[in-house]
Amino acid sequence: MSDEKNFILDVDDLNIYYGNFKAVNNVSFHVKAGEIFGLLGPNGAGKTSTLSAIEGLLKPQSGSIVVAGYNVIEKPLHAKASMGVQLQSTNFQPELTVEEIIELFAGIYGVDLTKEKLDKLISENNLQESRQKRFGQLSGGQQQRVSLSLCVLHDPKLLLLDEPTTGLDPQSRRQLWERMEAMCEKGHGILLTTHSMEEAEAVCDRIAIIDHGKIIEIDVPQTLIDKHRNDPEVIAVSRKGKITLEDVFIGLTGREVRV
Amino acid sequence: MQTNVPTTSTVLKALLRSDLKTQWRNRRAVILTVAVPVIILFSWRQIINQIGGAFALGSCITVGLMATGLMGYTNSIARDRDKGIFQRLRVAPLPSWAIMASRLLVQLLMIFIITAAVLIAGYSVDNIIIPTEGYVLAFLASIIGATVYLAIGQVIVGLIKNPETVNATTRLVYFIFIMVGMFGQLGILGDVIKKYVIWSPYGTVQTIVAGAVNPSKWTNTTTEALLVTIGYAVVLFLIGIRKFKWSSK
Repeated sequence: MSDEKNFILDVDDLNIYYGNFKAVNNVSFHVKAGEIFGLLGPNGAGKTSTLSAIEGLLKPQSGSIVVAGYNVIEKPLHAKASMGVQLQSTNFQPELTVEEIIELFAGIYGVDLTKEKLDKLISENNLQESRQKRFGQLSGGQQQRVSLSLCVLHDPKLLLLDEPTTGLDPQSRRQLWERMEAMCEKGHGILLTTHSMEEAEAVCDRIAIIDHGKIIEIDVPQTLIDKHRNDPEVIAVSRKGKITLEDVFIGLTGREVRV
Repeated sequence: MQTNVPTTSTVLKALLRSDLKTQWRNRRAVILTVAVPVIILFSWRQIINQIGGAFALGSCITVGLMATGLMGYTNSIARDRDKGIFQRLRVAPLPSWAIMASRLLVQLLMIFIITAAVLIAGYSVDNIIIPTEGYVLAFLASIIGATVYLAIGQVIVGLIKNPETVNATTRLVYFIFIMVGMFGQLGILGDVIKKYVIWSPYGTVQTIVAGAVNPSKWTNTTTEALLVTIGYAVVLFLIGIRKFKWSSK
């Protein structure tokens, strides 16, 4: 029970349907304070539906989601105020500058944005050169960094990062990993989705593999590798004789390409 | 530790500030929206005495309201939905209605600008003098009339997801309203068309705005047009809100 009090996110028995299609099937997992939890799955596995339900964009048919003690259905605004979200395809008004976008979201999250705080946020995200540029003039990587800077603006207890390193160069990616780890040390919880097994292995404390709407494995990355290293499906897809998380992932979810 | 949720007024203020900035940065489109009715009014200089000042002001304000409601509002909603701007706002701690309320408040400002520009142009170019209460009522009638076009826009973004298709549809509807509405009401397209146009979303708005600028000529027909306008707005908004999806995916 004492462990439960540390849950920043608790998803229990979640079910989501689109018409007769069951996109999410009895999914349960939790993210603890100070933990980076990876949700991995092929395209169409149910990751985005699960994330959308946590973000409050989609109402599940059954199950419960509690963020920092707030049920997302009963207390949606409190739950949303407790999380920082980076969506896969986030965009902002192309007419607004980086500073204006940060000011907008500071207002929305009720953050008192001082000049020092704004400067710190801008420099932490390497946006000094582009702070006066309009969002529509930024490169993909810069846009991604603006989006990430807004996630942490209000010091949320839970961070939801949907493929956050897509479009980032290796330096920015490493820097983001370090920032994620620093946030975890401060007690924040992070739910991360990624298609990069290298990223999952490098930063996640635990991962869940989801396929066809169901969670098929939850564990520490290395434990998953050790557990499945002798599976014939995993050995069949391994390259150069070394079993990686990617081999385990493909072994468990199949080789066919999903669209 | 308790999580604090910002007040709705704080959120609305932040949204409104950024929406006004966005509108300001698109001022070329705003100028064009205002310019069309003013140019029409200018071009009618020679026939003002025949058609009447109230009719001319009513028609031109209606054209401006159509442009801002149908094209300005609708296309910005379609674009922001398609780009995922709404989705990012919806994962933040704010009620969804606040996003739309801010957009509508910006439109309210546009309505004031258009109405003021046409009234000023009417006075300075065509020497149309209206009573003081006519100015106040003209603004009120413009707000009521604009809701019809905002509601039509809401139906269009409710039924169509693709922003390019939304853009094309709003232009088509705008063109039809101007061509059929304006010429039809002038009687150029015959009596049958004129009868239909008078009770169309173009005709009823034109009637109430024209009635508002000249309150002494307000008739039962103007009151009926007002009721029909409100009816259009309510029904169309209900359909538009019901059909609207926050994401185009």
